[in-house]
Amino acid sequence: MKTNREHLENTIIRILKVTGIIFFTVIVAFPFYWMFVSSFKSLGEILLHPANLGLDIRKIDFHAYYEVLFEHGFLRYICNSLYVSLITVLLSVTLAVLGGYAVTRLHFRGQTFMSYGILVVYMFPAIVLVIPLYVVFSLMGLRDSIHVLILVYMAQTIPVALYMLRTYFQGLPLEIEYAGLLDGCSRVGVIWRIIIPLSAPALASVALYTFMIAWNEFLFAFMFLDTPEKFTLSRGIVQLAGSVHLSKQLVMAASVMVTIPVLCLFFIFERHLVRGLTSGAMKG
Amino acid sequence: MSSLTLKAISKKFGKIMALSGVALHVDDGEFCVLLGPSGCGKSTLLNVIAGLIPQDDGTVLLNGQSIDGLAPRDRDIAMVFQNYALYPHMTVAQNMSFGLRMRRLPKATIKERLSEATGLLGIEDLLDRKPRELSGGQQQRVAMGRALVRRPRLFLLDEPLSNLDARLRAKVRLELKRLHSQIKGTFIYVTHDQVEAMTLADRVVVMCNGEVRQIGPPEAVYSCPEDTFVATFIGSPEMNICRGTLAHKEGRTYFQGAGFSFDIGRAQPELSTGEVEVGIRCDDIKISTKQITGLEAKVEMASNVGPEQYVHVRLGQEELTLRAPKDQTLHPGSLIHLTIDGNLVHVFHQGRRVS
Repeated sequence: MKTNREHLENTIIRILKVTGIIFFTVIVAFPFYWMFVSSFKSLGEILLHPANLGLDIRKIDFHAYYEVLFEHGFLRYICNSLYVSLITVLLSVTLAVLGGYAVTRLHFRGQTFMSYGILVVYMFPAIVLVIPLYVVFSLMGLRDSIHVLILVYMAQTIPVALYMLRTYFQGLPLEIEYAGLLDGCSRVGVIWRIIIPLSAPALASVALYTFMIAWNEFLFAFMFLDTPEKFTLSRGIVQLAGSVHLSKQLVMAASVMVTIPVLCLFFIFERHLVRGLTSGAMKG
Repeated sequence: MSSLTLKAISKKFGKIMALSGVALHVDDGEFCVLLGPSGCGKSTLLNVIAGLIPQDDGTVLLNGQSIDGLAPRDRDIAMVFQNYALYPHMTVAQNMSFGLRMRRLPKATIKERLSEATGLLGIEDLLDRKPRELSGGQQQRVAMGRALVRRPRLFLLDEPLSNLDARLRAKVRLELKRLHSQIKGTFIYVTHDQVEAMTLADRVVVMCNGEVRQIGPPEAVYSCPEDTFVATFIGSPEMNICRGTLAHKEGRTYFQGAGFSFDIGRAQPELSTGEVEVGIRCDDIKISTKQITGLEAKVEMASNVGPEQYVHVRLGQEELTLRAPKDQTLHPGSLIHLTIDGNLVHVFHQGRRVS
């Protein structure tokens, strides 16, 4: 029998829950909504009704996107960002798989040191590294290059990627690898045919993480890149914001273009992230 | 099929001696069981044979040839793991054929071997399923099948039945025995379950602390244990061990224990008269209903195990266990008389068998 007090408590908890969810959704979603809506308005509309949050569907204007893409060079920036991010993902994941496997399964001198030391690299804040790296790369004549950016992003993402994969690999049963070795695989064969398929969920999250870091990164892109043809998206937005003081809708359209791919990727991979592939491998 | 010889295999993990000087020869077509308590090194030995763990010392010979330098995949050995270690992302058919595909066998051969093995194991219907869709018993069969299709020179089985429930285990044990006689392979089977060892083995290798304690047919290991470890490890309930001394008198030898003494047969003057341990199987102690035997014991507890009961008694200062028919009434505290068949007792000196 439910007492009145219990009933009251449950009601309060339910109300608090709903309020909390609404509160955080608004905080997170509102800026995004505003950005989205503004990007479809014309400059005149924004200047006339700056406080208007609604979007008149009949007045949707794609002109900002067109202008940003073709007149401000964002098509190029998108390609650059995609190139940098995808190459970073490819290299980081490959190296993290090999490194993560090595520190988990292979026995060598300094294994523990390597396994934890790699995280120490990650402890240095980027701002500490950016000046020395700027100087070093300038002296070497490598600074204004997309490939140096890839190198820096790899250094930034590999420690965490490796750490994530190491934890996942440790959870994989050793006997499956033994079975693979006896069935005719080499070490590399075991990684390729057994470890990688079994780690698909972990690999998806590591790839997503790496992609997001590389796609969103601003500090190094801002410091290292001088030539507009080499700009990445985030660097391009700053350039745009600096050059068009009034045209908010252009900056908003550019921002939407930065945000959308990451969001899409997240929703595509989200299912893979939670799927546990190992269930059924082991008994008990 | 092949014979396997191990010469003085040693392996250390840190400071722990996992295997020390293990020597063993397994004949072609033999079913050899490695038996011992957890952590005695039997699984390590299996991994050394498979090449998954390198030994520190010693040699593994297959058909008289050293395979120490060979990678696991080149040894032509198949292994069945305790947790089956099926590849979760492959179907049963893919799991079983994986080893053959890796060796690039023709498709027709793979198909033929697959159908032969699935027929033998009765798992034809499961081929398209993933491991997680199988019951424990089915997974065990698939793991067995994955080894069978390879037609390896040697089968290694690491406690393959210990994840099955008791009823299934007894059934699969019989099937395994039948399978072995059908395919005439050389099997090395690791278990800590003495019933499995006794029922399956042609020869049992009893291990303890990384050492081989005794090798022999199950009957021999049971009836003639080499030391007190083997004596107490094999047989259920455990063999009774009493400490005491021997005395030779009037052509016979007597055992003098703590508060009791009995005849252990014809005088054996070569036996030392010093400290000994005497082992008596609980079957060799009988409750005497008629006469007074001089071995008066007090019943402490009787535990009914179904077809019979185990009676725990105190004789002198020793505690002994013996079997009695289930309908015999034995109240705790009552006094009974025992007869011990002196010819069947085992005499150990400092843990080693002397008679």
